[in-house]
Amino acid sequence: MANGWSLLIGLIVVVGLGIAAWVFSPKGENQTLWRSTLILSIASCYLMWAITFLAQWHPLIAPKRADIRPDRVPQ
Amino acid sequence: MAPKDTFFRSSDMSLTQLYIANEIGREVVSALGELGQVQFRDLNSETSAFQKTFTKEIRRLDNVERQLRYFHAQMDKAGIQMRSSSEFSDTLAAPLASEIDELAERSESLEQRIASLNDSYETLKKREVELTEWRWVLRETGGFFDRAHTHTEEIRQSFDNDEAPLLRDVEQQNHRGANGEAQGQQSFLEMNIGFVAGVIPRDRIGAFERILWRTLRGNLYMNQSEIPDPIIDPATNEEIQKNVFVIFAHGKSIIAKIRKISESLGASLYNVDENSELRRDQIHEVNTRLSDVNNVLRNTKNTLDAELSQIARSLAAWMIIVKKEKAVYDTLNRFSYDQARKTLIAEAWCPTSSLALIKSTLQDVNDRAGLSVPTIVNQIRTNKTPPTYVRTNKFTEAFQTIVNAYGIPRYSEANPGIYTVVTFPFLFAVMFGDFGHGALMTMAAAAMIFWERQLSKTKLNELIYMAFYGRYIMLLMGIFSMYTGLMYNDIFSKSFTILPSSWKWPDDIQAGQAVEASLKGSYRFPFGLDWNWHEAENSLLFTNSLKMKMSIVLGWAHMSYALTLQYINARHFKSRVDIIGNFIPSLIFFQSIFGYLVVTIIYKWSVDWPARGQSPPGLLNMLIFMFLSPGTVEERLYSGQGGVQVFLLLLAVVQVPIMLFFKPFYLRREHNRARALGYRGLGEQSRVSALDDDGDMDGRASGTRDSIASDGEGVAMIAQDLGEEEHEEFDFAEIMIHQIIHTIEFCLNCISHTASYLRLWALSLAHQQLSIVLWDMSLGGAFENENPTTRVIMIVVTFYLWFTLTIFILCVMEGTSAMLHSLRLHWVEAMSKHFMGEGLPFTPFSFKTLLEEDPVD
Repeated sequence: MANGWSLLIGLIVVVGLGIAAWVFSPKGENQTLWRSTLILSIASCYLMWAITFLAQWHPLIAPKRADIRPDRVPQ
Repeated sequence: MAPKDTFFRSSDMSLTQLYIANEIGREVVSALGELGQVQFRDLNSETSAFQKTFTKEIRRLDNVERQLRYFHAQMDKAGIQMRSSSEFSDTLAAPLASEIDELAERSESLEQRIASLNDSYETLKKREVELTEWRWVLRETGGFFDRAHTHTEEIRQSFDNDEAPLLRDVEQQNHRGANGEAQGQQSFLEMNIGFVAGVIPRDRIGAFERILWRTLRGNLYMNQSEIPDPIIDPATNEEIQKNVFVIFAHGKSIIAKIRKISESLGASLYNVDENSELRRDQIHEVNTRLSDVNNVLRNTKNTLDAELSQIARSLAAWMIIVKKEKAVYDTLNRFSYDQARKTLIAEAWCPTSSLALIKSTLQDVNDRAGLSVPTIVNQIRTNKTPPTYVRTNKFTEAFQTIVNAYGIPRYSEANPGIYTVVTFPFLFAVMFGDFGHGALMTMAAAAMIFWERQLSKTKLNELIYMAFYGRYIMLLMGIFSMYTGLMYNDIFSKSFTILPSSWKWPDDIQAGQAVEASLKGSYRFPFGLDWNWHEAENSLLFTNSLKMKMSIVLGWAHMSYALTLQYINARHFKSRVDIIGNFIPSLIFFQSIFGYLVVTIIYKWSVDWPARGQSPPGLLNMLIFMFLSPGTVEERLYSGQGGVQVFLLLLAVVQVPIMLFFKPFYLRREHNRARALGYRGLGEQSRVSALDDDGDMDGRASGTRDSIASDGEGVAMIAQDLGEEEHEEFDFAEIMIHQIIHTIEFCLNCISHTASYLRLWALSLAHQQLSIVLWDMSLGGAFENENPTTRVIMIVVTFYLWFTLTIFILCVMEGTSAMLHSLRLHWVEAMSKHFMGEGLPFTPFSFKTLLEEDPVD
């Protein structure tokens, strides 16, 4: 499902989205604004997702709990 | 040259000269005011206000405006609502001159009518107050007299004892016997006692008594009582509490003295007869007169109200017309007037892209007036710095305000507003990340946008207006907060468990046993933070590390982006020296330290340390030792690390002298070369014809220069005041000092600014913890309740508590603080990398802004 390759796939998707945003931004005097806003948004969101994913890729610590009830182990 | 105006740069401006026929000057300016795209320069700034051409008209309009304000004040006094200006359509444009005259005449006559009605109303009101007071005096003193008459015997005794002659007693006896029916009402006159009756404000009564006592040495008898109803002063419309008093004293001179004292203390004296019969008649008379006055008063009031409501219906429109008219003449006063040709000459800045629109507007005005002489629009080449005009729409307006609050962008420099649109809400969301809170914010913003037309018409209080003004910022903040909420996996401090976790717990767990989860294999949680971290004991350990590094990486990205704009600016202003001497060294310096840090952060994440059988090195220590002991690496991150770090450090250090010396010395060389070729600074006044083409557009700021177009031939004269031009002279020391400051600032700021982005981590941690605490203290506790009945009640009660606190503390309060931090990150951390911000704002002559700044109602 989701492993190290996701970062690359995500990057490709995001670059694709960015190109699409550049091409399909509505024409007119607000085209620059549309392009900048869409591409920056896509880039920022990707950046944050990628950081969160990277941090969990090779985790150095594992979650610890002492309050798990035997009949309700979270799956 | 940008082909069209974008949000990225301010619009191209042209300085134009307009030659307007005198007859249509007013109409032209009025039409341009409706357009709101032209900023007229003041060509008569040296003439005093009285010498200007249209002073007479402005005085007249001032008078009309005063009259209209007077009507408004009268309406406020009478409590009549003015019809709101928003009810009028926009057809208030450019009234004919005759209409203005008519309006002036009409308001003149109306003013007289209102004033006379008011006068008579006030006189009547005064009369009414007097009568009312008199009635009170009569009523109250009646009481004193009645009481006093039953005690005349005692009073007389006291007189008899000291001074009354023996005979007089007898005389009085006889006298009394003669008219027996008057026996019950022994006159005070017989005892030579006079009295003064009147009304005085209650707060003066103490002083009044004291003064009387001192001046008369106690030779008086004063009686007073409070009037229960407050009396309304007709002049000020204020309620005053008053007392009725009656003072008895012995002797005419004393009575006269009392009268004087009471009048000087603001008391009003009334004539009261001591005879009760006469008094009764007086009361009757006063009552009838009072009711008459009341009748007339009511009629006057009705007429006045009718007149005022008539005015109220169109007052707002009149006020708008007069305001516009006055603004038009104020603008016309900025034009220079050519006596010989009967033309007005104006100089104005306008966006180049609006020139066509302006020309067609002027053509329209000309056609309407049926004038054969066209209005000439001439573009002047100039080296004056044009004002900065960033075209905004309702979406970008608030974002641009964020930038403008820090500084107006320099003419045609890259506008930070364009990235602020995304980065401002995004950095906010990093601190505010919670899906639930973000959703609430999005809904609030969406509602404001949905009803924006209605809301923009209503008067909102200051706080709500601010939220309304920034509704599009709020919308983006909300949407990004929802996204970051998904990343942090937080919704009202709980987590989504839709996607399968990448962690699994051991199989047989005893209650209360401390266990550690293990990875399920190569599967990783695909979107955001794994929900198993949420309830874990060591969750903060993990999220803190994540958020801290995330702050650094996002901050680095933000600052790198902002730094690149420095290159774009330098290229736009064709300043290679800035690229080589400032941009490239800055970029290398920043990237070789903090770019490297970001690379190591990502590298550390992507390495499977346990599989390597190595313990991961601390990055912070690595960075510190990179400076303290270059070349030696205690915990190795990768092979050859020492060499790379030494190289990067040297690279960074080398940039400092480049930044320090390249630009100043380059500029000095250029300057010296120019001197050697014989160029000199500009000397005396230079005369530039408007049609001349040899002026050069210079992108560099050249300060303000006064231009006077007062020539008979219609030629613009550009006077250069050399006193103000001194900064244009080459001053090496100044440039050097400036560059040293810039370099030191940049290098130190790289460190402090990167650290400053850690606020993203701190605030998001605080926000998350606060929302967890709020949940546990209110709604979370209610679910734990054992008794089902109390549980239901507690859930309902604590829900309201939780929801209210969520809105006010978590959304409004925390939201405001996150917004301020995001604001700071833009103003200080990002904009300092490229923003010059020394522009002059474009302030077009526009009726719309005029009415927005100074609304009529």
